[in-house]
Amino acid sequence: MKRKLLSLLFAVVICFSTAIPVCAEESLSRLEDNADLLTDSEETSLLSQLDNISEKQEMDIVVVTTDSLEGYTAQDYADDFFDYGGYGVGDNNDGLLLLVSIEDNDWHISTSGYAITAFTDAGREYMSEQFVPYLSDGEYYKAFSTYADLCDQFITQAKTDEPYDVGNLPKEPFKIWFNVLIALGIGFVFAIIVVLYMKSKLKSVRFQPAASSYVRNGSMNITQSGDFFLYSHLDRRERPKDNDSGGSSTHTSSSGSTHGGGGGKF
Amino acid sequence: MPVLQEYKCPCCGGGINFDSSTQKMKCPYCDTEFEMETLKAYDDALKNEQADDMNWETSAGSDWQEGEADGLRTYVCKSCGGEIVGDETTGATSCPFCGNPVVMMGQFSGALKPDYVIPFKLDKNAAKAALKKHYQGKRLLPKVFKDENHIDEIKGVYVPFWLFDADADANIRYKATRVRTWSDRDYDYTETSYFSVLRGGSIGFERVPVDGSSKMADDLMESIEPFNFSDAVDFQTAYLSGYLADKYDVNAEQSVNRANDRIKKSTADAFASTVQGYSTVVPESTSICLHNGKAKYALYPVWLLNTTWKGEKYTFAMNGQTGKLVGDLPTDKSAFRKWLFGLWGIASAVTFGLTYLWWLL
Repeated sequence: MKRKLLSLLFAVVICFSTAIPVCAEESLSRLEDNADLLTDSEETSLLSQLDNISEKQEMDIVVVTTDSLEGYTAQDYADDFFDYGGYGVGDNNDGLLLLVSIEDNDWHISTSGYAITAFTDAGREYMSEQFVPYLSDGEYYKAFSTYADLCDQFITQAKTDEPYDVGNLPKEPFKIWFNVLIALGIGFVFAIIVVLYMKSKLKSVRFQPAASSYVRNGSMNITQSGDFFLYSHLDRRERPKDNDSGGSSTHTSSSGSTHGGGGGKF
Repeated sequence: MPVLQEYKCPCCGGGINFDSSTQKMKCPYCDTEFEMETLKAYDDALKNEQADDMNWETSAGSDWQEGEADGLRTYVCKSCGGEIVGDETTGATSCPFCGNPVVMMGQFSGALKPDYVIPFKLDKNAAKAALKKHYQGKRLLPKVFKDENHIDEIKGVYVPFWLFDADADANIRYKATRVRTWSDRDYDYTETSYFSVLRGGSIGFERVPVDGSSKMADDLMESIEPFNFSDAVDFQTAYLSGYLADKYDVNAEQSVNRANDRIKKSTADAFASTVQGYSTVVPESTSICLHNGKAKYALYPVWLLNTTWKGEKYTFAMNGQTGKLVGDLPTDKSAFRKWLFGLWGIASAVTFGLTYLWWLL
């Protein structure tokens, strides 16, 4: 009994000393817009989307925004928020959390439990390419909504088939205008080469630069010939590392639980 | 001394021409053919005769003003007595009144006598056919150029060429590099080795031709090269009969620079081709000396065709020996645009389709 009390006290001390504004007692929703990036109606709609997907997939899908990381790295902040916020479904605490801090434009995804398997490094990279541009543009609702949909898609994929990973990523949408521009560029280069070739056929009068047809047969006589090595120069370049192994890299958070994930700037 | 020479048919007295298809002299009136060998003897005999049979006149008449006739020479046709006006380089022509072919002997006598001549191998019809072929396969040539076009003038001309022989001594130093690449697990390695490569030696050139007539565009004449010298024969004026001919008006000293440039370029190319097994070869110092230079004077056969389109004059030249025809042609601007935009559209659509297919895969 004494022991139990002590550990409880210890937990409270840690809770305060980490000073992360989360307390386990309070039940947190799956959307914590602490930086107030969304309007009320957007919050309601996003929260219901997150709740729907989370319940359907039996996995917590969380979005957290904050004004400041309070000195923590984005990874630690996200991991601790997930752990101490009491997120996670089942024994393995299945779930993932997207943290957006507007202090230094950080974003971070922390995965836990089954989400570590479902969201591989390559898959997360792919996801970030889809929603980070929206973050950069300040379209937060669109970014979070895209993120939620992608989570849904990724978890379904992981449950029904292999998780998205290197060599097995979802197709990026076909960029019509980008491809039109590329095609026009290539087409123009091709057309101009062909037409200039046609035009060059109209010109047949030009000076002969050399007199090679008038070399007397067998008159070439090399009397002096030498190839001398001067010096050599060795250039060494690091090979691009093949990260094609796939899978998820993991680390241990301050509370001792295992998390996957990664992040960046927007 | 300039003397007008007509070759008369010993059978019927008509003026006879050199016939390119049979390579003999042929009388167009009675179809009699004469071997060139016979004519050579005949030619020599005629020259001896001419000493006391000089009836050319330089009729610088009162109707010519001072200086106006400086560039002109007039001759009297021996057949009809008509006056033939040529410029100072004209060596062979035909009488404008009776059409008889005449050769101005004086233009090719003494120091002016060409060493060689390559007789015409191809006739006027071959030149016309070659021009028709020249028009083919050129999509940007204006349609009307082909359709409305007629040949204003077609003439077979013996063009004077200087032929330069020279030996070149070359001493060339190149900087060359060889690149080797390999990789291990962590790094890609590129090793660039630098070499100094020396090449010295000699190379000989023979009969590098340079156009000796200022009337002929030099680039046009160089474009119909090469002439095959194995067909050349010792010069006889009889070969000129029936064609036009010019004597040189650019002398060997003025022409030699052009030959030197080409010889030097060729020498450099020939020696560079012996430097092998390197990734890059850049000449660092080049010294090419020419010696044993000799110049010969030859007449080469050229068909010239003229045509006019939209007030512009277009000149074509055909090698009278090999049949190579050259001549710049105008561009149809609307066809150019049509092809450019058409191809642009098609190529872009195909590329877009391919990228889409690539994406679907």
